[in-house]
Amino acid sequence: MIQVKNLSFGYTDKPFIRDMNFEVREGEIFGFLGPSGAGKSTLQKILIGMLPKYEGSVRVNGIECREHEKDFYENIGVDFEFSTMYEKLTARENLRFFSSLYQRKPRSIEELLEAVGLLSDADKKVSDFSKGMKSRLNFIKALLHDPVLLFLDEPTSGLDPTNNRMMKDLILEEKKKGKTILLTTHNMQDATELCDRVAFIVNGEILALDSPHNLIMAKGAANVTYTWQEDGEKTAVCPLNEIAGDEKLRQLIVENRLQSIHSSEPTLNDIFMDITGRTLV
Amino acid sequence: MKIVYRCFLQMMRTIRHDMMLFAVCLGPVLCGMLIKFGIPFLESFLCIQLQKKTFLAPYYGLLDVFFAMLASVLFCFAAAMVVLEETDDKVIRYLFVTGLGKKGYLISRFGIPSGIAFVFTLILLRIFSLTKPGITELLLLGLSGTCMGLIIALMVVVFSTNKLEGMAITKLSTVIMLGGVAPYFVEHPVKYLLAPLSSFWMGKGMLEDSLWSFLISLMVSVIWIVVLFIKFQKKIA
Ligand SMILES: Nc1ncnc2c1ncn2[C@@H]1O[C@H](COP(=O)(O)OP(=O)(O)OP(=O)(O)O)[C@@H](O)[C@H]1O
Ligand SMILES: [Mg+2]
Repeated sequence: MIQVKNLSFGYTDKPFIRDMNFEVREGEIFGFLGPSGAGKSTLQKILIGMLPKYEGSVRVNGIECREHEKDFYENIGVDFEFSTMYEKLTARENLRFFSSLYQRKPRSIEELLEAVGLLSDADKKVSDFSKGMKSRLNFIKALLHDPVLLFLDEPTSGLDPTNNRMMKDLILEEKKKGKTILLTTHNMQDATELCDRVAFIVNGEILALDSPHNLIMAKGAANVTYTWQEDGEKTAVCPLNEIAGDEKLRQLIVENRLQSIHSSEPTLNDIFMDITGRTLV
Repeated sequence: MKIVYRCFLQMMRTIRHDMMLFAVCLGPVLCGMLIKFGIPFLESFLCIQLQKKTFLAPYYGLLDVFFAMLASVLFCFAAAMVVLEETDDKVIRYLFVTGLGKKGYLISRFGIPSGIAFVFTLILLRIFSLTKPGITELLLLGLSGTCMGLIIALMVVVFSTNKLEGMAITKLSTVIMLGGVAPYFVEHPVKYLLAPLSSFWMGKGMLEDSLWSFLISLMVSVIWIVVLFIKFQKKIA
């Protein structure tokens, strides 16, 4: 679906993205993860042909991005990280206009509004919408022409837990229909849940790329942390897969002196910190 | 092309909403009627009062120069306002990644309005012009007028970031329409300081009945348009 080879790009003369390589397969959800300013949105903009002055090769749907024709966009749906609606028009008027910009037969506006719980607000002006409502509306706007490839820039940011869940379900539903989806997020949990593969991006570089599961497994097994009393509270940590060899723990169990014991599985966040040396957000 | 047309209609709806369309269409017609029926009347009145053979008549050509720019400037200004609003709402960036595309957008916002303004201008000039220019002159005059509209629209979208600023820039940029006055009133070669303005050459063309001046005016316009367009492209990238 997407092939990126030796991609370099800079807003100024100094390249910001350097020699990047990756591939996105058909039908997968691919996540860009990284701190603010890492270049996630920039990368998406290159992929959707908005920044044609890159070096290297970027093929989307078999088309080199910088040479795209306008029917390139018949197959691509974009959800920017900010609202892109006519503020003076209602939600329905906006959707109607945007769906008229494609040759394909559009999806039902009513159904899409219903799916994100905005049907009753359809005739309100977008300027009267809350942030979360705007991002839901922005999202369904990307689906209007039923594109095979979706670019979602932080689709879950600014949503309450209920809407966050709903949004993730909708994204997974699109995947089920065979869509290829690229999304960026700061939220590790969302990424773990949604993405088949993720790329960690920091300062315009991919530092790791794999499935969330593999990344977590590569870090090694979970740790067991336990505490006991012995001249005050003592704590020890041992890897779960070496627990049989931990004499102290065995002794504590035999003597029934354990005060607490729990295991902690690494999260994507831990992996991210390990690899990049910094936290997200 | 159908999509470009739909996008153009969307703009017309916005303009109608703001009553701007009304002003754009009616303004030139009213102005034309004033020129056609008011000016000759005023001229005969003044000539009798001041006991002169002619008073305003030598400047009829100048009136035509302004009139040729009027419809285009109004229409392109309205389009520029819509573009500014779309920039504010960030819709413009989204439109670039739809089936419309960047090219389609630019055609719908600048190409089609200029085209319509051109035709409208020709009709208006044909009806209301006081000098009754020949067909070649008429075409050249209309074309230069349209270019002026396009130049002002581009200046507005390049140099302002919102509608309020846009209004201010429009007032400022209409100054470049005044170049046409120089050939009529200034003998001294100092007038050539205004040569970088296409309106200067329009005035000269009208005064001296010279097609060459009109061609120079068009060339000057093209330079302006290209430079502004490159700036605009940078701005929306
Ligand atoms: N139009 C632009 N011109 C110049 N520099 C830009 C432009 N857009 C972004 N940048 C710079 O590129 C870098 C990456 O920005 P980008 O928007 O891609 O980050 P991001 O990873 O999407 O961050 P966030 O998570 O905050 O959205 C930043 O340093 C930013 O200042
Ligand atoms: Mg971003």
